[in-house]
Amino acid sequence: MRDGDERALEALYARYGGLVYTLALRIVGDRELAREVLQDTFLRSWDGRETYDPKRGRVAWWLIGVARNRAIDLLRSRSHHARLREQGPIREKGREPSGPDAQELLLVRRAVGDALRSLSPVQREAVELAYYAGLTQAEIAQELGQPLGTVKSRTREAMDRLRRVLRPLIESDEEGATL
Amino acid sequence: MMVEHTRIVEDLAAYVLGSLDAEERRPIETHVEACPECARLVAEYRAVLGMIPAGLEPAPPPPAAWRAIRAAARDRRPVPWAPIATMWDWVRVARWPAAAALVAFLLVWNVTLQRELTRRAPGPAPGPEVEALSRRPGRIVILQGTGQPGASGRIFVAVDGGGHLAVSGLGSLPPGRTYQLWFVRSGAPAVSGASFRVDGYGRAWAKVAVPASFEDVRSIVITEESAPGSAAPTGAHLLEAAP
Repeated sequence: MRDGDERALEALYARYGGLVYTLALRIVGDRELAREVLQDTFLRSWDGRETYDPKRGRVAWWLIGVARNRAIDLLRSRSHHARLREQGPIREKGREPSGPDAQELLLVRRAVGDALRSLSPVQREAVELAYYAGLTQAEIAQELGQPLGTVKSRTREAMDRLRRVLRPLIESDEEGATL
Repeated sequence: MMVEHTRIVEDLAAYVLGSLDAEERRPIETHVEACPECARLVAEYRAVLGMIPAGLEPAPPPPAAWRAIRAAARDRRPVPWAPIATMWDWVRVARWPAAAALVAFLLVWNVTLQRELTRRAPGPAPGPEVEALSRRPGRIVILQGTGQPGASGRIFVAVDGGGHLAVSGLGSLPPGRTYQLWFVRSGAPAVSGASFRVDGYGRAWAKVAVPASFEDVRSIVITEESAPGSAAPTGAHLLEAAP
């Protein structure tokens, strides 16, 4: 894409556009804002404002990171109470993806969903408030009325469990064939 | 030192989640640069974060989104490395090594990205039957390429029977040969779950016949056999999993 190859951008979008939009919608909870995040993510990757570093992981993870940062930046322009009000169940349920690798994505979705469901409710709450609502540990502690140390422990336990449960999936996809 | 390491490990998950304040982040960043164990943990947490959105129900972006991105991209071609042009004035002596390094970086970057983008062929869209199957209660079994390094597979086994297999990294087969999935059972012959060939990218997607008594299955293997399939496994175990 550094050479201005529009086909590379199109291939990147065809493969990950749906995932980026899905994540953005989950975070901002608004289709227009999600679309703004989607467009900004791909244009940042296009014009060099964000640069892919292979040492930091796969292309998909990098794009997800860019999109998540952009979406959380939008959320952070509001108070964290407003952010929490905007968080909730997935607001839009679309048809299944029909693009590349759709079948494997179905299996990956299933495996990741199972991993998240394996967390205790309080662990999952801690991770989701940080991941989707962009709250700091101190803000989460305040919101839940729990000591900061408790929130940090829950976050670490949840991430360690996800790390263990998802490791076979990540290692079996060593070359980033799916994500 | 060890006390600091222990304290930082406690905060690493929150750090990777971007859930710490700036003053909490700084000592962690400094420590991670010098601590291989923490650097490895950070990489593993980052992998988890990269996988989390894959668990969401997909929401298709509006069709107009791509058109808008393409139009905007045409208006702003990628930045031609302006910082390098500025450096040029005061690192004139090093211009050729710098240029060589830049070319090497661009080559690696492009090759890596293109490899990611073109590694695999687009697969056909899952049919309603596959989608329905994937929504049923069941479990995922991961197959490792024990006899075929780089190969991997996943099987979804529905609790009420049936399943499907996604596999990648297998080699193309000559005519008259096929890959075959086996359920190896305790005290009973192995039973075939599917026969399949792979596409030009080494990938396959197949429906799987799961034995009724799945509890008796002690391993799941994939072998290469004569087409259309053997009555019992004869080839080496290319992929393998213990359910």
